[in-house]
Amino acid sequence: MIEIEHLTKNFGSLQAVKDLSLTIPRGELFCFLGPNGAGKTTTIKILCGLLKPSGGTIRIRGIDIQADPAAVRRLIGYIPDIPFLYERLTPVEFFQFIGDLYQVPAAQVHATRERFFALFAMEEYARTLIKDLSHGYRQRLIYAATFLHQPAVLFIDEPFVGLDPFSIRLIHDLLRQAARAGTTVFLTTHILAFAEQLADRIGIIAGGRLVGLGTLAELKAHSSIQGPLEDIFLRLTRPEEA
Amino acid sequence: MHALAALLRKDGRVLRNLRTLAREQSAFKVIFILMFAGGMLVGLGYLFLEGFRFLSALGGIGVMLIRHLFALFFFGLGLMLILSNIITTYTTVFHSDEIPFLLCRPIAPGEILLHKWLETTLISSWAFFFIIIPFIGAFAWHEHLSLLFMLWTFLFSIPFVLLYAGAGTLITLLVLRWVPRWRPQFWVGATLLVLVGWGVWTLFGAGKPQTDDAVFILGRFVPGLKLAAFPLWPSAWVAEGIMALSRDQWLRGGLLFGVLLANVLMVGLLIEGLGNVQFVQAWQRTRAAHASLRELRRVGPSGALALETRLAFLAPDARALVIKDLRTLLRDPAQWIQGLLFFGLLALYFFNLRNLHYHLLSAVWRNLIVFLNMFSLSAVMCSFCSRFIYPQLSLEGQAFWLIGLAPTTMGRVLKIKFLASLVGMLTIGVVLMAVSAAMLDVGWRIWVTALGLAVAISLGLCGLATGLGAVFLDLKQRNPMAIISGFGGTLNLVLSLAYMAAVILPFGALYHYHTLGRIGAGALNAGTAAASVWLIVITLAATLLPLMAGRRSLMRRDY
Repeated sequence: MIEIEHLTKNFGSLQAVKDLSLTIPRGELFCFLGPNGAGKTTTIKILCGLLKPSGGTIRIRGIDIQADPAAVRRLIGYIPDIPFLYERLTPVEFFQFIGDLYQVPAAQVHATRERFFALFAMEEYARTLIKDLSHGYRQRLIYAATFLHQPAVLFIDEPFVGLDPFSIRLIHDLLRQAARAGTTVFLTTHILAFAEQLADRIGIIAGGRLVGLGTLAELKAHSSIQGPLEDIFLRLTRPEEA
Repeated sequence: MHALAALLRKDGRVLRNLRTLAREQSAFKVIFILMFAGGMLVGLGYLFLEGFRFLSALGGIGVMLIRHLFALFFFGLGLMLILSNIITTYTTVFHSDEIPFLLCRPIAPGEILLHKWLETTLISSWAFFFIIIPFIGAFAWHEHLSLLFMLWTFLFSIPFVLLYAGAGTLITLLVLRWVPRWRPQFWVGATLLVLVGWGVWTLFGAGKPQTDDAVFILGRFVPGLKLAAFPLWPSAWVAEGIMALSRDQWLRGGLLFGVLLANVLMVGLLIEGLGNVQFVQAWQRTRAAHASLRELRRVGPSGALALETRLAFLAPDARALVIKDLRTLLRDPAQWIQGLLFFGLLALYFFNLRNLHYHLLSAVWRNLIVFLNMFSLSAVMCSFCSRFIYPQLSLEGQAFWLIGLAPTTMGRVLKIKFLASLVGMLTIGVVLMAVSAAMLDVGWRIWVTALGLAVAISLGLCGLATGLGAVFLDLKQRNPMAIISGFGGTLNLVLSLAYMAAVILPFGALYHYHTLGRIGAGALNAGTAAASVWLIVITLAATLLPLMAGRRSLMRRDY
């Protein structure tokens, strides 16, 4: 569960996030939408502890991220839009390293690796250096490694960038399964069709302020637009609305 | 500490994979690099040995100097290590994509900083070992010391390197965490504090006559010797400890090693402790500063218009490329600070030639020093060209298609890059060489020769670096250090050093023998004319051939 209360973030004179309050329950798949520069990535980075908020509080499963960041880091998984990977390790070695960091037993590391490598059709590249992997395989690897320690909350920034339809379907199904199993998933995307299909609830941010929140039906009702999510998004994020 | 162990195990795996990657390299490349490294080591060893022989030949004061050179050597290398580690920590810790990856994992920030301390020590200390091996070898040879001396030096070097690199890591952390940016009153205050501290030190500390009279007297001849002999510096413990062990004074040697080790452990504790409470804040502060700077640049008055107005005489495509390169360089302090350090230290030395009373030396020595200065300036120019000019085309990276599709030719792009680099190199080279010659009060012939050589070397080095940078273009690599350390980068550095030696040596030898009285005025004139022709021919070859090869290579490429 994620609880955000009156979150603000300032960069000098620029206010990137303005008084954001939001609660996302356990097992919910939450899509956070917004135009470029709206504050989505900044919000995710604050939720992961990478940026310090200028004001407000954040609790992950009841733990205040400012008070006990180490406990929060054990609970979460974060996949940025361009994830960092050690180029001179192989996928198998990268898995071992993540297992070491999270102190996952070797047998579990092995079993999870086998399962995910089979699921993502990665066995062939298991011992290839990461620097030689294509973007799609690198993304598959980071997803597999992120699920290794079974995070309670998952933050994903732009999960479908540069992926082929096969990979998109795989990740789509994986995220739905994770949410069903109780993982809270917080993701940002610009592909509104996926948000429509995937999300339990949707939040829309513009100019650092939350301008829309609810299920698709609630957003339609609130905005009095019966068309697709795209119409609601465009209406709510128009400069005069934001 | 399990996370640190996990990170070290990961490093072990990377190292194993690097070994495999190294085996895949071409044998020619590996042999070439090994031969180059071996040649450099032997050459440096020979130079050091000649230096010791020269000091021995001076008798009295020279022999006394040799004994104290050891402390001065470690003192100087220690300062270099701190500087080098500050730069490495800033780039590989505070500007690395790895840090956000690690900060989201269950790792204590102190452990991340401890790991980075070890990593940056490794990165910043290779030059230390590269210099210390020939120095120690020459010293041991000259002083007829046993092989154990080398072993003791190696034993002391490891904690020494860790200690000074750790100081660099701590300084970077503290500065980035607490030093306020863009506040002139802070910098004025800090400068005053340093000056007051220096004054107090001079008056009450190192300025007092030493109990060791030899150090006091020698300090008047060799700048920094008095400071290096200060007994609380770790460099002094290292020098003293190695010599004690070599003289079979086990207790004193062991004690000094223990003191050094205790200090390393203390620095480790400080890094971990401060890292746990301050590293995340320092990192966030650096990131937040970038974000707010972006904002300031967007809304504040921009220097772009002024730059465009000043460069209005250039053709639009040339202006666009030059302004883009200038902006990229200026907005990356980690890059230009290295350049500033390169030439700043050299300028400081040149401007202090009179304080060192070198202008009062005989003509033989002054001429020799001018040419030695020319060598040091050219060597710095070689490293600068290898570090900044050689990788400039490769660093266009994935945006190279923009240039490839622009309505201009690759030959023209190469020419613009070459000329822009040349303007920078010429300015620095000619100004610094003029300062050196003026400070030493040399005759007009040496003046003209020094400035002519500065112009020629700027041309040759820029031609080599730009041309070879185009021939060995690597658009996939984003890390400049990887581009520089590749085959093309190494070849560029070797050819640049060879070119530098080939053009300076003939003039240096001619003037040296003339001032010694071994050759007359006629022979000097004839020799200068021949050396000038050689200079023109070899400079044209070093400038034009790589540029032509680079142009051909760029025209053949797919983007």
